[in-house]
Amino acid sequence: MSEMLNVALPKGRLGDKVYALFEKAGYGCEELADPGRRLVFESPEHGVRYFYVKPSDVAIYVERGAADIGVAGKDILLEYTPDVYELLDFGIGRCRMCVCGRPGFRDDPGRTLRVATKFTKITRDYYAGLGRSIDMIHLNGSIELAPILGLSDVIVDIVETGATLRENGLCVLSEVCGISARFIANKVSSRFKYDAVTALTARLRETIEVEK
Amino acid sequence: MAFTQFSPITERVFPALETLWAGRGYTRYRVSRFEEYDLYASNRTFITGSSILTFTDTDGRLMALKPDVTLSVIRNTAPGGALRKVYYCESVYRAPDPGSGFSEIPQAGLECLGPLTLFDVCEVITLAARSLAALSDKYILDVSHLGLLSGFLEDAGVDGALRPELLRLAGDKNSHEAASILRKAGASLPVMDTFDAMIHLRAPLEEAVGKLSALPLGEHAASALSQLARAARVLRGEDGLYLDLSLRSDERYYQGLVMRGYIPGVPTAVLSGGRYDGLMRRLHREGGAMGFAIYLNLLERLAPQPEDLDADVLVLHDGTDPEGLTRAVAALERGGLRVRVDRARPEGFRYGKLMHYAGGELK
Repeated sequence: MSEMLNVALPKGRLGDKVYALFEKAGYGCEELADPGRRLVFESPEHGVRYFYVKPSDVAIYVERGAADIGVAGKDILLEYTPDVYELLDFGIGRCRMCVCGRPGFRDDPGRTLRVATKFTKITRDYYAGLGRSIDMIHLNGSIELAPILGLSDVIVDIVETGATLRENGLCVLSEVCGISARFIANKVSSRFKYDAVTALTARLRETIEVEK
Repeated sequence: MAFTQFSPITERVFPALETLWAGRGYTRYRVSRFEEYDLYASNRTFITGSSILTFTDTDGRLMALKPDVTLSVIRNTAPGGALRKVYYCESVYRAPDPGSGFSEIPQAGLECLGPLTLFDVCEVITLAARSLAALSDKYILDVSHLGLLSGFLEDAGVDGALRPELLRLAGDKNSHEAASILRKAGASLPVMDTFDAMIHLRAPLEEAVGKLSALPLGEHAASALSQLARAARVLRGEDGLYLDLSLRSDERYYQGLVMRGYIPGVPTAVLSGGRYDGLMRRLHREGGAMGFAIYLNLLERLAPQPEDLDADVLVLHDGTDPEGLTRAVAALERGGLRVRVDRARPEGFRYGKLMHYAGGELK
């Protein structure tokens, strides 16, 4: 067996869904049936070594070469623009990055728009594309509070079902982009482990097509 | 600001590179750390993604800590002169990421400027590959031609406004989003398939050129391919050369042939280079130019781990018998041991064996 492929998977529900795809693609790992407190899980017969990390850290592990491949949300890729290959759209974990605010909110072009968000780069790029001047307010959580308390006019945030927005009297005003889980690869590993990465990508692509 | 200074890894690898480059008649180019700011201010678009560190000299001139070596080499090249082949090992000062402050980045590289022939171009590529071989047993030098993908999109009539985004996606090998953009732009299925095949094509250089020749390319892409094909023929037999059209380079700096070098254990390219004829024209120099730089700071990852111990033996003494102590330490040295002599145990110092010198004896 050649060198193992190190795979960074996102912790949580998304990670479980993603691992299920790897398993269906023929890259299962028996150790994951009884994970215990271990952090690293090896499947020597399939040449893969899995480890679970915080979803927002997957791209860092891959970009820095600690993982050869991984699965990260498109929101993370757009926000941090890691220098990695984006080889597949898994089409799972689908949600939307949206501008949200109070129903009936009207943007007054004569005033700077106050926008609260965790995703400052995505927000800056979006409004730069519209040529709109904004006052960016960077928050780390409970973004929905900002327009309710008058901290901001609107927010830019991930919307999955819209339930949280509705419960807080907010709604989607416009969509910035679609989000889903993406299969990423380190650019150097993709070269030195070319055959293994290419074979895995092809199997995953086939699996995704079947799942559709 | 982080000052790295030349590290042991630089001192370890540069002599081998220097021997290689000097062996092809390249001569050492030394530059001052400072240059007049005007040079960089008027060519700022070529200093990609960087801020420039400036200071006022004693005579009132605004100076810059060098963010780039190539500009300086070109400026010191006489207009209309003969072919010039130089190499360097210098530090540049940049803030590659606005959030992380300035860094000193040690680089070694070479530049070939003037009336370039195909031989000169291929010699630079050969020296790039052999430089990587001097750094690591395993290496890959990817070569591409920036005109291939952009020429293909132009030939296919893809809206010019969409091309930068499509080239960015090609750099990420992101077929799914590229296909979506091409579909919305009304591109035909063969165009989409060919673009996809191009961004995923990866093979040894000559083999890849053959595969590209079989694709339905238009006039501009075919012209770029023919340049690449001529180079591939000259480079036949050179190990480690691959074609990868996903190589992304700043087209304000490079035009035509570009290359990136990789070695295992370093997660990004350690070598970057290509043709920069446009920069020569901008600085009113005739002919073409091609070169590459190796980012020596990235090689620190390959340096052997520092030894666990600072010395093999720590000898403590009371300072009363320096002559006898000198003889005792010399005896330990002759035994190949590293010896630290002190009056008391130095804080944080790691040693293998503790010995005391007293009464003319080491115990």
